[in-house]
Amino acid sequence: MTYQFDFAALLPYWREFAMGVWLTLQLSFVATVLGFVLGTLCAIGRSDGAPWVKALVACYVEVIRNTPLLVQIFIIYFGIATLGLHVDANVAAVLALVVNVGAYTSEIVRAGLESIHKSQLEAAECLGLSRPQTYWHVIVRPAIERVYPALTSQYVLLMLASSITSQISAEELTAVANRIQSDTFRSFETYIVVGVLYLALSFVVRIAFWLFGLVVFVRRRKLGTAL
Amino acid sequence: MERMNISRRAFLVGATGLAVAGSLALPAFADTLEEIKKRNKILIAVDLGSPPFGMTDGNMQPIGSDVESARLFAAELGVPLEIVQVTSPNRIPFLLTGKADMVMASFSVTDERKKVIDFSDPYGVIQIVVAGPKSVSVKDIKDLVGKRLGTTRGSSNDKEATTQAQGAEMVRFDDDATLITALVSGQVNLMASSPQVMQAVNARRPNDPLEVKLVLKTNPYAVGLRKGDDALREAVNKVIASNLKNGKLNEIYTRYNGTSLPEEMLK
Repeated sequence: MTYQFDFAALLPYWREFAMGVWLTLQLSFVATVLGFVLGTLCAIGRSDGAPWVKALVACYVEVIRNTPLLVQIFIIYFGIATLGLHVDANVAAVLALVVNVGAYTSEIVRAGLESIHKSQLEAAECLGLSRPQTYWHVIVRPAIERVYPALTSQYVLLMLASSITSQISAEELTAVANRIQSDTFRSFETYIVVGVLYLALSFVVRIAFWLFGLVVFVRRRKLGTAL
Repeated sequence: MERMNISRRAFLVGATGLAVAGSLALPAFADTLEEIKKRNKILIAVDLGSPPFGMTDGNMQPIGSDVESARLFAAELGVPLEIVQVTSPNRIPFLLTGKADMVMASFSVTDERKKVIDFSDPYGVIQIVVAGPKSVSVKDIKDLVGKRLGTTRGSSNDKEATTQAQGAEMVRFDDDATLITALVSGQVNLMASSPQVMQAVNARRPNDPLEVKLVLKTNPYAVGLRKGDDALREAVNKVIASNLKNGKLNEIYTRYNGTSLPEEMLK
């Protein structure tokens, strides 16, 4: 137990670390936005769509939630290429993350939709709200507000899971770490630094979600909510 | 403190004893070539855990380019062969303690090793190459500009390719398996790897074989011998020279490595 920590050996690589953090943030941001839209549409489709839409969404959710993310990434990255189309590793990574997180989002949002009491819909009808208005004001927004904490942790998980995309050569934070530790042989220090960076990124994601929640959910802002 | 002194003295005595024993033992090795002829057997150390140089086949029989080269050398020297199995870190100890007469285990010639042992002339090379399918045309290093060049992250192949192939888009994977899949599926155009990896791909995929486009680096390897074994080294060098000329060594190398030895070695 006489290991000498030498974090200074990593200093010359700060630019690489920063590039890795930046790409991780980009991948997570795009996947979060698109995944949220996909998931919400799927949730609406599953609770209020035509029978074939319900079946389709159910299939999608079950397949994605019961296969490993790594397998999905390989299928998309290598599968598309085998069909003769070249996609950039980052594009394939985002695509896989969107497909993956969309399925999880769909289930979370569906739980929110189901929590809206029937009387609310009847009240909306009595007030003469149109169908889109009912959906926006009475169903979707309150539903998402209720499951917002669950969504937040799902997207933190997504950010952490983006580390897997290093397997298909996306040069995000984990890929950068793997390269730096094989350059410096300072693997202990490298992964500690990367761990701390991921921790910081998680806080950034949480704070971003909290701020976003304050802006979007008026009631939340008035009541005041914890992070 | 007292205890330490005693143990240090004991160590020194022991070390001196070993050194004396070593110097006494040395004359017995002085002319290994004589020794080999007298016992009518040559002991060649081969690493059977480093394909395609040394490995075992389905029947646990040793095969590989080093194994076949060792057989060729023994035949040329006119004595039966006994293969001594070594692993790469104990190649030098086996040689120095007399467990083997010489080492043929993809033994790269380095200055560090030359301080402890002697090397024959090189009889093979370990290379870093750029390989790809026929459809991708590469004549020299400038043709790599704009190509997607795959490699294994952090390997010596990665370092060599990254410094040499300026302008190529480096695409890094964590292992050879993923790299190969990326190349075969077309996610990368070329790979910076070893000819052995390429050969392994071609063995399983004979329809569209990969070929070596460029050689980025060549590390020659040679027969490792004890220092001062000049008679044996002379004999081995003669065997190597004649068998490089008549193509036998190249035939063995090509069969296992999927690429020929460099031109200048065959003269």
